Amino acid sequence: MYQYDRKGPKRGIALYSYSAEFGLTKSLEECFEDIHDMGAHGIEILANTHIENYPYPTDEWVEKWFRLCDKYEIIPVEYGNWIDSHVLGHRDLTTEEACEMLERDIRLAHRLGFKVMRTKMPVITHALDPVKNWREIIRMALPLAEKLGIQMCPEIHTPTNLKSQMVTDFVEFIKETGTKNFGLNIDFSVFRTGFKEGQFRNPNYTPNVPEDLIPLLPYIYCCHAKFIHMSDDFEETTIPYKEIIQILKDNQWDGYLLSEYEGADKYDDGYEVGQTLRKHHIMMKNCIGD
Amino acid sequence: MLEMENIQYKGFRNIVKDGETEGFQVGIRFVSYRGPWLSQFRFKHVKIDDEVFGPDVCTFVLNGIEYTYEEMLQDWRQKWHLQDVCYIRVKKPGGLASGNHKVNVIYWEIASYLPPRLDTMKEGMDEDPSTAREMIIV
Repeated sequence: MYQYDRKGPKRGIALYSYSAEFGLTKSLEECFEDIHDMGAHGIEILANTHIENYPYPTDEWVEKWFRLCDKYEIIPVEYGNWIDSHVLGHRDLTTEEACEMLERDIRLAHRLGFKVMRTKMPVITHALDPVKNWREIIRMALPLAEKLGIQMCPEIHTPTNLKSQMVTDFVEFIKETGTKNFGLNIDFSVFRTGFKEGQFRNPNYTPNVPEDLIPLLPYIYCCHAKFIHMSDDFEETTIPYKEIIQILKDNQWDGYLLSEYEGADKYDDGYEVGQTLRKHHIMMKNCIGD
Repeated sequence: MLEMENIQYKGFRNIVKDGETEGFQVGIRFVSYRGPWLSQFRFKHVKIDDEVFGPDVCTFVLNGIEYTYEEMLQDWRQKWHLQDVCYIRVKKPGGLASGNHKVNVIYWEIASYLPPRLDTMKEGMDEDPSTAREMIIV
């Protein structure tokens, strides 16, 4: 299996970026090829989207997965899953049922060579507060995660603040359990300061400054390198990337920055997200120095 | 292969069994970045021109398996993959007349990772412009 031994921040791509094209004009292999062309070595998939016949892929599909990773020098970095406990609507899944779903994903992530999962928490409020039994669900799944070497990471995404009670609760849980199998995925949308006139800005949102990352770094196993607008001279104009990456380097943080493009324009006729990702990777390459 | 739109032209036809036209079918897909579990599917109606067909006269065929709406609402272990087209089979003796029809299907998905307001998102809608298409029956 391909190995990429570089230490520090590393470049990768969240396949979510290709959501307007995947399965229509781009195959899984074509996405891998595009990532390879950018010199990136990490990948995040969304289990529900990118695994054929999820959650029961065939052995042939799994073989194909590893063949693509080898051919295009790609490391399976992050497996995006959801704890879908509101799946029925009329009642939430019990802790045991939600854990059954989570453990199935832990096993599948391990089978595909992943070590980190972006474990999306089910939410109950407009402010994205997680379900009340999130601690019980995670606690129940920890022994399996530990056995298979998987780190489950909820994503901290705008409008959530890095200093919010939600993040404090996650960190307290980590300290209390002493676990290395539950951590954080930070989405760089929390640092966004640039908004054009007319662009939606959540009234509950306060941007973090890059220094706010420092106390959380021991618990961050992956980052979503969210970007909003790349200029033609390869600068991200809304998020302070240089400062963020410098902090990661100065503090010897080791992990992947997975580019994630969420702009609605990717659904426009003729839009090709690979070109936007390439601009982002020129900028990240310059900051990281790889 | 898929068409870009939510409602698919392909497969739009009358259903004939033993020489009797029992109804018609129309295919839909989720234009989204992830496919739901079956129980996350919410459906209000198919509307053809001015005629409305609710869940009581519809069944849903996904990957060759035919479900009632109630069966779908209970099944949280089967996926509706993004590449899957679900054919809604609508009971309408005699089927649809040959010619143009305005087809509108009101459906959505609930989710766990977004606020629960999604549960009833489109219940009050009579028409949904994002899922309307002019289509032809021969």
